[in-house]
Amino acid sequence: MRSSIRTPRNPPKTLGEWLQFGIGAVIVAGMCFPAFWMTYSSFKTNREIFRAPYALPETWHWENLTKAWEDGGLGGLYLNSIIVTAASVILCAFFATLAAYAFARLEFPFRRVLYRVFLIGLLLPPPAVAIALFTQLRDMGLLNTLWALIFANAAWTLSITLFLMTGYFRTLKREMEEAARLEGADTLRVFWYVVLPLVKPAMITTGILNTINIWNELMFALLFISDDASRTLPAGIVRFSGFHSTNYALVFAALTITTVPIMLFYFISQRHVIRGLTAARAD
Amino acid sequence: MRAARNNGLGGGRPGEGAGIANLLFVIPALTLYALFVLWPLAASLYYSLTDWDGIGQPRWVGLANFARAFDDDIHLASYLHVTLYILGTLVFEVSFGLVMAVLLNSDRPGFALLRGLFFSPVVLSMSAAGVLWTFVFDYRTGLVNAMLKGMGLSDWAQPWLSQPATALLCVMLVSGWKFAGFYMILFFAALRRIPRSLYEAATLEGAGPLRQFFSITLPLLKQNILICGLLAVTGGFAGFDLFFTMTNGQPYNTTEVPVTWIVKMGFDSDQLGYGIALTVILTVVVSLISLLYLRFAERSHAVEY
Repeated sequence: MRSSIRTPRNPPKTLGEWLQFGIGAVIVAGMCFPAFWMTYSSFKTNREIFRAPYALPETWHWENLTKAWEDGGLGGLYLNSIIVTAASVILCAFFATLAAYAFARLEFPFRRVLYRVFLIGLLLPPPAVAIALFTQLRDMGLLNTLWALIFANAAWTLSITLFLMTGYFRTLKREMEEAARLEGADTLRVFWYVVLPLVKPAMITTGILNTINIWNELMFALLFISDDASRTLPAGIVRFSGFHSTNYALVFAALTITTVPIMLFYFISQRHVIRGLTAARAD
Repeated sequence: MRAARNNGLGGGRPGEGAGIANLLFVIPALTLYALFVLWPLAASLYYSLTDWDGIGQPRWVGLANFARAFDDDIHLASYLHVTLYILGTLVFEVSFGLVMAVLLNSDRPGFALLRGLFFSPVVLSMSAAGVLWTFVFDYRTGLVNAMLKGMGLSDWAQPWLSQPATALLCVMLVSGWKFAGFYMILFFAALRRIPRSLYEAATLEGAGPLRQFFSITLPLLKQNILICGLLAVTGGFAGFDLFFTMTNGQPYNTTEVPVTWIVKMGFDSDQLGYGIALTVILTVVVSLISLLYLRFAERSHAVEY
């Protein structure tokens, strides 16, 4: 911890700092190892995995990946996950931003009560409604459709998104909005032409957090979808590994195919992810 | 809650009035929220008082489902398991995250990469993580037993996930692996806001790193620790994904947690009324604990800096 008070951008100097880096690196490497093990094991044959569990593959069997892709119907799972995630994230972002603008800037009846009602959602765990929501979606005829997941996921990420966006609105200065009003713009125009461009960074940050959460969502996906055609990746992977519980190579290949893209997404958007998280919870 | 109070940033502009029209901005979000969060929550309250197979007409049974829930040994045990699990997450997620935040808090090159890698399991899906670790803990070919054999400790090889003594512990460890990075980032952000002068002064006074951690870092992070604790507790009660993919209650219901049991009751055995009553109990328990926790956190005034 002491090293943080030195000038930045210099390599470790003291023995203590090398020790700090060394211990950190060993722990991190240990934690990353299972993921690497999974990735390189997916190129081995099943027999090889049994014989030498943690050796590198003798020959790299790329065909494992194509076989997993085809056997697991990963293309369809991917497509469904993309549709569900994109639709829920966009729906949630627009609805939450509209509402957050009103809560932060406008006066209307029941404003405080409604805000509190939305905040309840921060504490509620989704399993609290799982069964009732299941029967409701069935009665609405939405079970086994992607709509079930889109609506459920968007609704269950509203509270946190609304909370973050309202907080962000409060940090914004009102001058531009007021100037636009003096020019005669009505509330809707102000929102669309002035406010929306200003809050775009916050929408992207919350959107990325929601993308990761919804992309990985398992419980709703298991309960509301029993049809292969509408299944999403997390549920599909559980099912696939259940079917092929002895074919390690195949399961690892499927896992690798599904985890690498989300990892890339994370490393590309790392800055946003971390900014979003710290804005969300640290204060 | 605090946010709601501070909300009065002047409200609407003069002349705009307390316009009903402004309510329109909230309507889309409110509709979605009411339909898929509030309504099922309210419906749960009603169905929990009925005997219902999910298809026919619900039959009113009063509090019978709740009486049954308090008599259901597996249900009661699931709360014990989830409590143990939460205690585990406080150690393996929150405390470990805090220690790693302090360890990786440096501007030197390389540390940012370590933080990024340490955080990366958070991004993985729980189902992928669960499946992966099921293989790691596998008796015959798992990585853990293979390593033990490699070190000549074959006797220590265990069926980790299929014996009561180790199954829950394994889930806790994986949970720590998955989420320690999340808490690390939260603590890391908080650490950056502690003035450096405090540590400089402490160093001049001759306080070592350990002393500094306990006398400066910990007290100043009190509020963050409380919030992270709350997240771990509420998140722990809702825990499902890892349990479902790794053990699903096995062996002999020793890793059964409330949500896995709810899903079994509600979906596997068509007793929706009973399953829904269990969700109501879960909601009440989580809300009560959160409120008590927030009261406690408010009273024990977090340190200002």
